[in-house]
Formats: sequence, structure tokens, C-alpha cells
Amino acid sequence: MNNRPRKLTLSEWDSRYSQLQREGLSEPSYGGPLRRHLIEQKDFRLEQLRFDNSPAALRLWNFLLTENDRLRQARANGDKIVGTMKDLGTVPVMAYSLPRVRAFYPDGAWWTPCLMECSDKLLQQAEAMGIDASFCPVRAMLPAFQNGEHFPRPDLLVCSAGAVCDDFSAIAQRLERLGHSILWWEMPRRRPPAAGEISCPLPGHLAAPRIQVDAVQAELRRVSRALGELAGKSLDDARLSEGIRAANQVRRLLDALRKTVYCARAAPLPALEMLVAEMLAIHFCSDRQESLAVLDGLLAEAQARVRRDEGVVGPEAVRVFWVNPVADLRAMNLLEDLGGRLCGSDFMITHALDLIPEETPPLQALACAALSDPMVGPTIERAARIARECQAGRAEAVVISRIPGASHCAREGEIIRSCLRQQIGLPAIELEIPPLSDAMLPAIGSRLQALIETAKSRRTT
Amino acid sequence: MICAGIDAGSRAIKSVLFDTDSSQILASALADQGVEQERLARELFEELLSGARLHRAQISSVVATGYGRNTVGFADTTVTEITCQARGVHRLAPDARTIIEIGGQDSKVISLEEGGRVRDFAMNDRCAAGSGRFLEALASRLNMSWEDLAELGRHSKKPAMISNTCVVFAETEIIGLLAQGAPLADVVAGVQNAIATRVSALAGRFVSPPVYFTGGVALQPGMASALEEVLSCPVRVVSRPQFTGALGAALSATQSDGWH
Repeated sequence: MNNRPRKLTLSEWDSRYSQLQREGLSEPSYGGPLRRHLIEQKDFRLEQLRFDNSPAALRLWNFLLTENDRLRQARANGDKIVGTMKDLGTVPVMAYSLPRVRAFYPDGAWWTPCLMECSDKLLQQAEAMGIDASFCPVRAMLPAFQNGEHFPRPDLLVCSAGAVCDDFSAIAQRLERLGHSILWWEMPRRRPPAAGEISCPLPGHLAAPRIQVDAVQAELRRVSRALGELAGKSLDDARLSEGIRAANQVRRLLDALRKTVYCARAAPLPALEMLVAEMLAIHFCSDRQESLAVLDGLLAEAQARVRRDEGVVGPEAVRVFWVNPVADLRAMNLLEDLGGRLCGSDFMITHALDLIPEETPPLQALACAALSDPMVGPTIERAARIARECQAGRAEAVVISRIPGASHCAREGEIIRSCLRQQIGLPAIELEIPPLSDAMLPAIGSRLQALIETAKSRRTT
Repeated sequence: MICAGIDAGSRAIKSVLFDTDSSQILASALADQGVEQERLARELFEELLSGARLHRAQISSVVATGYGRNTVGFADTTVTEITCQARGVHRLAPDARTIIEIGGQDSKVISLEEGGRVRDFAMNDRCAAGSGRFLEALASRLNMSWEDLAELGRHSKKPAMISNTCVVFAETEIIGLLAQGAPLADVVAGVQNAIATRVSALAGRFVSPPVYFTGGVALQPGMASALEEVLSCPVRVVSRPQFTGALGAALSATQSDGWH
């Protein structure tokens, strides 16, 4: 069988899987053919996607799509389950510092209607619960909590509030009124230190006044106590430090994977698999140790392909930096179909990719990491990071995608475009990609194609 | 060498034959768009060839553009409207730095570098309020032709305020205005202003003069001045604005401009 990198449909993966099995494919307990997720979980959208043909990618997808099983197994084993809401990578680090505690990300339920092509009816049910389409698709979380079909009811629910997302705060408050008790913690809006204030460096070349770091640290201390009580063990500095080191292992692997893929002459892995891989940084898909194994496999595959100078698209593909995750995953396939490739990304979780400082007291380090969340600071700071990473990744064009209803900042796209245009002169487009973009796909494709043509025309100077 | 460009738009199909030796447009033609897009494009193209006394074999290359470009099966390749509009307008107005194109279904703002290369662009294809569809809806409501509508708008003394940014709901506003006895000319001018406002929001900080206006809606006399008003700068209408996309496609087919 041809093992050169290429993208396969679900049907093509059926044959590929049989072939790999005959060749002695070794799989983890959650392994199996991709098609089973369509049959068992009604993830109909899988039939519309094309996947990387490597066993490493198969493992990534199987890992992603079996999280529900993992959580239920954890519950059966007596492990404690913590739902960490509106938190892209801080409280999960704390939770996994304790033995027999698993954190998961209920907000991730927004992908469920996208994958199940709305056959789950979660969005309609959310509307019936008073959270309509003017809200972010994260509203799918609300009925998912109620029907219990997508994740088990957590033992503890933790949610950040304040300078995060108004939509989410509203949805979470509704959830609380439905009887799901929530431990809230406050996130202030990050601002640069004023004259005379003590400045604290944050990951991602940012800074905040000491007073803000102290405030977040105090909030995280409350969360830490609650987690300790849940686990029946104190979440002390030693445990936290060990948890941070383990989280950084995942982040280092992701960093190596991003550098390998985004800097390669020919992209060794597709954009879609990179999007999914980066999402592991948030809460390790409910198994930190297995996340390492999955990422290790992807990195080894990417490195091997780079050594052979093989890619899923050729070296002539336009280098595109992608901002924000997409609701319809086909958009990532489309990028490559139209002659582009990823050379960098800001899927709104950049702070979960940065290393958490290991030399500072652990709670302070986590407070600094939490404050570097791109969503809690000025968009111009996010734009500056995107501009830096575009230059590092030799980007030729930028896509800023939006999800209908999800407006963390109404003018965010325009601010980022403007900054990129002024600082590095790159063409950038904004694309609104709904959860099911079938009718919109030609228009989305047209814009992407125009961007790629524009970037190509700029090569001939 | 003779090349052809087909612009399969949402309202009309346009075709241009371009002779690279004389660097001239040999012929152009336009037909209404319809359901059988491939057949309509083919018939228009054959009609164009026949009028120019040419055969298909004499055409070196055919490039299709426009939202229906992928339905033009006889084209050798496709290129997006952004690239084609930029090439077409640059050919006719080499000093253009900003292009505003308003078509039947969408609108675009294209920023050009010196030499005509696209620097950046923005498109509105989700909402009809910034497109010719808005004027069509009004023409239909008033039972008037597109041309009569344009003429009527010229006589407005005090354009009506259309507050709604959605064409469907704006129709309700228009009905209300008409019921209150608002002069038709003012309603037409109000709709033109509403389109211009939407497009100016799309343009954002893109606008560097000289600004050229193209696309079918540029044929409406009041639209350019409405755009000038909201953009606070002169807006020039390109010669034969419906054909700039097809011309750009024909120029792309020549591959002689070094952009391929």
C-alpha cells in the first residue's frame, strides 16, 4: 500500500484500516476503524471530511472521539470528574495534579452538533431552554448537561467569569439555575501595568500589573482548595509543581509538532489534524498521559515525512496563518484543496501552548498563564502576537474565521486585519463558518481561493 | 493570439474576446443568467464567436470567473472575481488603488498596489443589503425596470432614511414610506444610500484614492454619488462596468501579464 502522505475519505480509511491491520497495526484500547464513530455515535460529519492516512492520525481521531467513553470509565472506576468551563488550560492543569481526578471541558460540547450534523438536536434544545442562535454554539453544552448523553455529570463544576465571554457567562448562569452548582472564579481584564505599578511578565511576551496576578492567584487558591477537598488530598505546591511539569511536557511536544509541521517545506500533516492536535492542550482530552503518546506519534510521523521531504500538499502551497477554530471542520480540508497550507495558527488557545513558568511559585505561575489568555486582554495584543508568528512562519496570507454567535470581541477581526496590514502587509480575510456550512461552502471556497490567488500574485515581485 | 473571458455572475453572464496582438477587446456580449448556467454561458460564447466571425479553435484559452465559474465546463481554467476585477479595472484605469464592485449578489472592495496587484480585499456575500439585489427588490416592489429606477433616483430632493440593514425587513420599511406618501425618487435614493453605507462599512480602512466603481450596479447613476458621499472621496465609474470581470478573465487567459 502507498504510505505516502495523503488525505483519505472515510471510505478510503476503511480499506486503509484493513490493510494496516493485516500489516500488524498496534492500537490502544480505544482504537478501531474511524467509521465506528459514525455508526455508534452518529458523527455524520466524518463522512464529509478527509483525514490524514497515517496510523498516528488514526490514533488522534480515535482519542478525540472516545472522550465520552473515557469519562464514563473514569466514573465507573471511582475517579473524580471536574468540569472546567470557560477555561482553556489553567484549572485542568490543577485538576490533573491530583491523583484520580479527571478534568474535562464541557464547553467542548459545541463540537457535538457540528460532528453529528445537528442530529443530536442540542442546538434546538438549547433554544427551547431560552438560549437561541444569537448565542455562541457553546450553548449546546446546556442540554448536554441535562440529557447526560454526551458526558457524565461532573463531581465539581468550575467556571471562570469576568473578562471572559458574556455569552458563556449567561449560559453558565442558566446552567446553575438548573441545579448544577458552579464554583466561580474571577478573571480580571488584563491591562498593561500603569506607571509606578509592579509589572509581572506573562507568557507570550505579555505583562500585567502585579495586583492582577495576585488577584487571580487568590482566586485559583480557592479553586485549589475545592479540588483538594474533592480529591481528599491537599493540592500543595509540590503536587502543583509536578502537575505543571507534566502539562509542560504536553506543551513542549505540541510546540515541537507545530514547529515541525508549520516550518516544513511541504506540510507533513494536514491543517485539520493540526487543529485537533492543538486542542489537546486545553484539557488533554481527559487523559494527560495518553495525550503525550498521541502527540509523540504525530510528531514522529511528521518528522519522518519531513526527512523524506513528503507532504500532504506540495511546497508550492500558499502559507496561510489561521486565526480562531472553525465550526465546520471541512473548512480546514478546503484550505489544502484550494492550494493552501497551514504555517501557523491561533486557535484562541495560544496561552495553553505557552510553557507555564516552572521557576516561580506554582499558583503564581498558573495565574500568570491564565492572565495570558488572548481573550482576556486587548485584541491589539493578540494581533501583535499573530503578526510575530506570521513572520516566524513566513505566512503569505491570513484567514480569520468566525463562528456565528461567537463574538468575543465584535471588532476583533477588523482589528487583527488592520494590525497585520500595517505591520507586515499581509492580505487577510474574515470568514464566517457556521456549524453546518453546506450552503455557504461555495462562497467560503471562493474567498479562500481569492486569498490564495492574491498571495500567489504577490510572489512575483 | 485571441483569448476569452467568461464572467458567470448571479444576474448576468458576460463574455469578452481579447486580442493580445493588438491589445484590444475584439468583442463582448451579455446575457441574463438563469438555471441552466452551462448552456447559457455556452450559447453566449458561441454567439460572441459568431459575431466576431471566429471559431472556437481560434481561441487560445478561455478563463471563467464569477460565482458560477465552476459551471462553465468549456473553460480551460477558473480564476476568482477578485483577481479578474483587479486585472480588468487595472487595464482600463491603471491609476486605480481601490475598486468597489457591486454586483447582483455581492459586493467587494479591492485594494490595489501600484502595478495593479491585489494588496487586500473584502467581500460581502452573506447579506443582500450591500448588493444590487436590494435595488432589484425595490424595482420589483415598485413594478419598475432597473433603468427607470435609476432615472427616478436622480430626481430625489431628500433621500429617505432606510434604517434596516436587512433587505427583507427593509422592504417593510419601504412599504411604510410609500404608505406615508414619501416621493418615489426619495425612496430610491434612500435605498442607494443604504447600499453605499453597507459598502463603506465593508471598505473600512481600505479606501485609498483613486477609487473606481465597477459591476452592474455602477450603471445606476445615483450610486457613484452615494458612494462619494459616504466615502468622502471622488468615485469614478469604470467604462462598461459590467464587463471588467470578463475582461480580467480574458487577460488572465492571455497569461501575458506576468501574474500567473
